[in-house]
Amino acid sequence: MNINHLEDKALWLRQECWNMVMRQRKGHIPSSYSCVEIIVALYYGGVARLTRGRPDAPDRDRIIVSKGHAAAVQYPVLADLEYFDKRELERYTQPGGLLGMYADYKIPGIEGISGSLGHGVGMGSGFAFAAKQNNEDYRTFVVLGDGECYEGSVWESAMFAAHHNLDNLVAIVDRNDLCILGRTRELLDLGDLEGKWQSFGWKAITVNGHSFEELLDALSLIGTTSGKPLAIIANTVKGKGISFMEGRPEWHNRMPDEEQMKVALGELGLKTMVET
Amino acid sequence: MDTKVNNTSKPKLMRDAVIDTIYNAAKEDKNIIFISADLGATALDKFRKCLPGQFIHAGISEQNMVDLASGLALSGKKVFLYAMAPFITARCYEQIKSVLASMNLPVTLIAVGVGLGYDHATMTHFTTEDVACMRALNGIEVLSPSDENSAIAITRAAINKPAFRYIRLERQPQRHLYRCDFTSEVEQGFVHLVEGVDVVIVGCGYLVHKALLAKASLEKLKVSAGVIDLFRIKQINAAGLTNIISSYPAVVTIEEQILDGGFGSAVLETLCDQNVTKPLKRVGIGDGFDVVNGDRDQLHELYGIDTPHIVEAALSIMGT
Repeated sequence: MNINHLEDKALWLRQECWNMVMRQRKGHIPSSYSCVEIIVALYYGGVARLTRGRPDAPDRDRIIVSKGHAAAVQYPVLADLEYFDKRELERYTQPGGLLGMYADYKIPGIEGISGSLGHGVGMGSGFAFAAKQNNEDYRTFVVLGDGECYEGSVWESAMFAAHHNLDNLVAIVDRNDLCILGRTRELLDLGDLEGKWQSFGWKAITVNGHSFEELLDALSLIGTTSGKPLAIIANTVKGKGISFMEGRPEWHNRMPDEEQMKVALGELGLKTMVET
Repeated sequence: MDTKVNNTSKPKLMRDAVIDTIYNAAKEDKNIIFISADLGATALDKFRKCLPGQFIHAGISEQNMVDLASGLALSGKKVFLYAMAPFITARCYEQIKSVLASMNLPVTLIAVGVGLGYDHATMTHFTTEDVACMRALNGIEVLSPSDENSAIAITRAAINKPAFRYIRLERQPQRHLYRCDFTSEVEQGFVHLVEGVDVVIVGCGYLVHKALLAKASLEKLKVSAGVIDLFRIKQINAAGLTNIISSYPAVVTIEEQILDGGFGSAVLETLCDQNVTKPLKRVGIGDGFDVVNGDRDQLHELYGIDTPHIVEAALSIMGT
């Protein structure tokens, strides 16, 4: 896999998300940016098996962004896969548009609704269980937040997936260490997440969530886990790519002013506020 | 209506009748999946033994059970979830709302021991709000059978036409009320079980049996009471129900629910939306009720929803 190509895709996705969100000034840039490399690795890193233009292909891998406030990061990718018209990106959150601030299951390529935290691993377990039962080869990838791991339902589902040997299920924890009010380590420490997933019966590994080499190495473990589901704890930076947002909880859903906009555009390599 | 039976055979537990019905369908349809959050039944033992691939123990993890069901349903499975009433409703209400209702998935929630069914278990096991909270969900159908045959027919309909449903089962066996073939009644959504003149008592589940007792008591007082078993509480057959109720001068609704937003509210809303105004008294549990030891009928007496209270409500609403 050409890493430079993936780096280019990551920049492209940040640009696309920026344009989409800033046109309407609605959305969650920092939460989306912490998982950009995860999303790019899945969709463009030769990991997920998908068919261009066929969001309902029965053998497709299922990808769920369970941290629904960041699920809009998938929209430019899904449009790029020709699952829907690219012009929908311009109608994001607009009446009559397909794309909402949170991902709805009616959007081609969105496997299940998100927005409320703690559902993705359970939903993904359902997909994975059905695949096993039907002797189908598709895999299910769930991207969730570290803050989302506060939800008890995550651990109910983690226990279930391990018991049923759902090695066709991958949970990628976007560990950006922030929730709305501040740092998870200071507010309510999530502790050793790798150890927690491991103790629930998963194969767990921690990586740099902005390194394609590390992400792809970890994702290559699918199928080698002796029947265990795979948890990848991806250490990330919330707001990655925009200097004044990086690691700053107050930017969760704040919108930049004119000066900040200029800085951000410069860092993203965009010339104007909205490039179409 | 020719639905009543003179059947003295021992009624089965509703849960066994329902699970046997699902089992028979599941033998023919590999896509039927039955998930329990650690609630058992004799019929479930057979299901687990004979169809292990179609049974899932979710753990005592109702939230996971619902999320899991959503993934299965999105994968084409027909999913039946099964647990004690309080835990399959309020305990995982957010999951039911966020994933099942939001995506309108064909998942059937089967609750056992609705209302005060787990009498001695008291407050944590009561569901005195499940009608209000479940009927508030977008697109759900809420069904509350009153005997074995109606439970079986409702289950068959749920199998034949998978949809987002909540089925409320009584914990204890209930006396037979209906003949085997209840299919057309399922369509109708209610049964005008007894025709009367002066007042009509509307209930569902266990309360239908109480309505029949109240009707007998009223008869002794020369009051002719009708009884309606309104087993489909959401997606109420508004025109049909209103048509029947319109022929009565007064209405009493009975329930084992906190009155706010409950069964009686559902009936009132229906009449109101149909532009029908009738003197109506809701018999149910008032706010601030306390928990004591006692069986279901003793609790009914304490909470003012036993037969004498139903009779009293009927007489008062008639102005007698």
